[in-house]
Amino acid sequence: MIATSQSLADRFDPKALAALEGLDFKARYVMEGFLSGQHESPFHGFSVEFSEYRDYQPGDDLKHLDWRLYARSDRLCIKRYTLETNVRFYVLCDTSASMAYRGGGAWGSKLDCARILAAALTWFLLKQNDAAGLLAPGGADGVPHFIRPSQKPSQFGMMLRHLEQLQPAGGACLSGLLAEGARLIHRRSVVLLFSDLIEPAEEVEMGFKQLRFHGHEVIVFQVLDRDEIEFPFTSPLLFEDLETGVRRQVSPSAAREKYLARFHAFMESHRQLFRSLEVPHCVVRTDEDPWHALAMFLAERRRLK
Amino acid sequence: MNLSFLNPWLWLGVLALAAPVWLHLRRKPPANLLRFSALRFLDDQPVPRQSPLQLRERLLFLLRAAALLLIVAAFTWPFLRDEAALLIRESRVYLLDNTLSHQSGEGFVRDRDRIAREIAGAGREVQVAVIELTSQPRVIASFGDDREVVVRKLRELKPSFQRGSLLTAFQQANSLLMNSLGDRKRIVLCSDNQENQWTENASVPPFLHNVEVTLPAIAATQAPNLSLAEPRAQRIFLGDKSVVNFAVQLNHQGPAKTANVTLRANGQTIVSRAVELPPAAGSVPLQAQWEADPALWLRGEVSVEGDPDALPGDNRVFFSLPPVREGKVALLARSPYLRLALSPEVMRGQWAARSLDPARVAAELAAGRDADVLCIESNYLQSADARKLVQRYISNGRGVLLLVDRITPLVGGALRELGFEPEPPAPSGAKAAAERIEFVFPNHPIFHPFVASDFGNLAEVKILRHVRLRCPSAMPLMFSQSGDAVFFQTTKGPGRLFVAAFGFEREQTDWPLHPTFIPFLDLCLQSARAEDDMPSSFEPGEMCALHVAADPPVREVALRDERGEVVRTPVVGRRAQFRVPDLPGLYALCYDSGHEPEKMLSVNPSPKESQLVYVESPDALKNWQFRGAQPASPATRTVPARGLSLSGIWQQRLWWWMLVAGLMALMAEQVWLVLRKERA
Repeated sequence: MIATSQSLADRFDPKALAALEGLDFKARYVMEGFLSGQHESPFHGFSVEFSEYRDYQPGDDLKHLDWRLYARSDRLCIKRYTLETNVRFYVLCDTSASMAYRGGGAWGSKLDCARILAAALTWFLLKQNDAAGLLAPGGADGVPHFIRPSQKPSQFGMMLRHLEQLQPAGGACLSGLLAEGARLIHRRSVVLLFSDLIEPAEEVEMGFKQLRFHGHEVIVFQVLDRDEIEFPFTSPLLFEDLETGVRRQVSPSAAREKYLARFHAFMESHRQLFRSLEVPHCVVRTDEDPWHALAMFLAERRRLK
Repeated sequence: MNLSFLNPWLWLGVLALAAPVWLHLRRKPPANLLRFSALRFLDDQPVPRQSPLQLRERLLFLLRAAALLLIVAAFTWPFLRDEAALLIRESRVYLLDNTLSHQSGEGFVRDRDRIAREIAGAGREVQVAVIELTSQPRVIASFGDDREVVVRKLRELKPSFQRGSLLTAFQQANSLLMNSLGDRKRIVLCSDNQENQWTENASVPPFLHNVEVTLPAIAATQAPNLSLAEPRAQRIFLGDKSVVNFAVQLNHQGPAKTANVTLRANGQTIVSRAVELPPAAGSVPLQAQWEADPALWLRGEVSVEGDPDALPGDNRVFFSLPPVREGKVALLARSPYLRLALSPEVMRGQWAARSLDPARVAAELAAGRDADVLCIESNYLQSADARKLVQRYISNGRGVLLLVDRITPLVGGALRELGFEPEPPAPSGAKAAAERIEFVFPNHPIFHPFVASDFGNLAEVKILRHVRLRCPSAMPLMFSQSGDAVFFQTTKGPGRLFVAAFGFEREQTDWPLHPTFIPFLDLCLQSARAEDDMPSSFEPGEMCALHVAADPPVREVALRDERGEVVRTPVVGRRAQFRVPDLPGLYALCYDSGHEPEKMLSVNPSPKESQLVYVESPDALKNWQFRGAQPASPATRTVPARGLSLSGIWQQRLWWWMLVAGLMALMAEQVWLVLRKERA
């Protein structure tokens, strides 16, 4: 799948994506662009399946009669079907101020990237009769964005509206978001988390453990900018933290090595955490196409089925 | 300086207060600032130094607070300044009287030079403006003008012959002072303090508030003067002779015993003789008659010389008479005397009479060929067509001479339509006795020539029988011995109506046999004829509005005197407006490029300017000033700010509260800044 997405990389044009108005179009652009490169349609195999027979009762619709069985056994039986078991997906989106960062080579901010991915996956899931819902930190009023999973055709529009309303603001909120998810999500569900995970690891770890303890499957899409991964700065800069406002006078040439070491340690600690919790983890860079994240998701979904 | 919320300076002040607060709140991000998301991996990097920034902001705060204080102080300076620190101590407006009377004793030149000297020598703490008092007071120099320019403008001023209103000049000076900066506001009147200039506006309500007025010192309460006023010329026809009757008033005041009067007309000296003056000041009427060609314009002037005479500028008056234009009379009368008097043999060149056939009045009414004057006996008013004819003459602006020789019910009704109420005859019952004319209105143009007896004595005229008429709206011009008004003038409509309470028949009066009859009839018809509404006599500098006839079309009108063209102005909508020249004289009004005078304008000084009676302390000025705002001398004047208490200052003006609010806003900003840094 990675090879497929790499071959499709030429099909992704960040300028075309940026030129599109509205999250709906962006999501379709990403998802359909991705799907058109697949050799096997992911929509196959989702038809209704036979469950059992029962005796015909007056008033039953004759179209559900199994005429072949009647020919063979002279019995009037009604054929009953069972819909394929649907999975409940929750999209959890981190909206801390750090998600507003957009580096020089990125096609959008981290939150933009997360929003588009979430919208694209939502559209894909609803196409496959899965139920999709949303949970995100609240805006100025403090009320979190929460949409119960549903398969209704109107669900996609509702999800889009809420995703468009998300604004990066405030300090660290991931641990609170995970705790809120553990509180609000009752039935076993699949949680798709979009975050940069740049928060104290202890509290975040507790949140993931709570979700896993409640039996939820979790897929983490860690959205990062190239500047955060590579720290490409050269001239001395005055850095200001997006979440706290703290300023640091940094000489990048001297600090890069230490930064990268600490960043890799941070990433490694999260990988270990996710391995221990059996949580799939995908890093999405804002300067690259997001299709490998979608490919990873499809693989995970097949595994879940 | 009264401030209110409607004063634009208040809103400017609010903006000025908001500016430093905004500047202080404004934060410029550093040029090399990068807002980064993963700074937690750089938490061991040094934090930028904050101390210098803190110190700089405090200094900035002090500077802004000082700026705020300066701004507020700038707005409140009229109340806080010290006497010694005043930039403008006094705002002074000079009122230079440039009317004719101020030429007496070279008063204008003397005051003009004095103002120029005072302006040149005034310090910078005094702001000066100058207003010239003429027929339309004008500002020669405003407060901000360069003083050298002001002095040069003053030197260029020439004495004028105009008359101006002191009230208008004071109001103009007051409006200047209302917008001045000086704490002491002062009007310096450089005038002769002529009494009639003060008394004509004595009852004006007060308008001078906290304005000090410096009046000129008066050396004497009056000055000797000889002047001429009210020239009046008329043409009178005596048989074949055309005589000009001229009258003028010689006013004298002072010890002069004789005055030499010279009358010139069309370049010839008509009269030149000495006139004895009565010892008491007063007016001497002078009259003269001489023959003149009725087909020519008459241009004349009268001058007087005598000693002592303080004001030579009013010693000449000018007059003019247009050529005679033959008038048309429609005659509907049986009186043979009247027919004879209006016959071509008597009135040739003056009046052309056309007798109307009483049986064809309707045809005359339909033809619409109206004459200048309709002369009709009341007997014919029994005809409805004749009544309509009278009404049409009046409504068309023509003249009517109505002779009420008998009263019938129909005639009475017609007279009532004209506003006259016939009264029953005297209760004596006996045959009415002959009465003489007892009194005539001497200032009326008809009777003015008869004031002197050169044209006969009207008192010799007998009225044997007359009708008693009463008309409240008409002006009686002649009375009989019994006190009945026997001759009226009324202007009920656009035209003029003269009504005689008797007919010109032998059984009613012997006037047709009297030598005054023909002149009277001529003057009466001239007065009844529609004349040009535009006056021909003006005062120097007066505005003249001229209505021009539509045919022929006129684009421009011009005023010329013997030296050439003086004024030229365009005609807009058949109307031309111009200012009459300042110099007295005769001016010919011409159309377009023509040189033939359409009208002559005589410009003579106002007779009031010749009354050289002065007043030292005018009552009018006391009325113009608000009570309790008497001018205080500089020694006793107190500066308001010095006497204010602290509470008084706090209650003084809104600006203080704005100062406090501004300081509190800056302090709040600092507290907020500190809290924000602590939180960071």
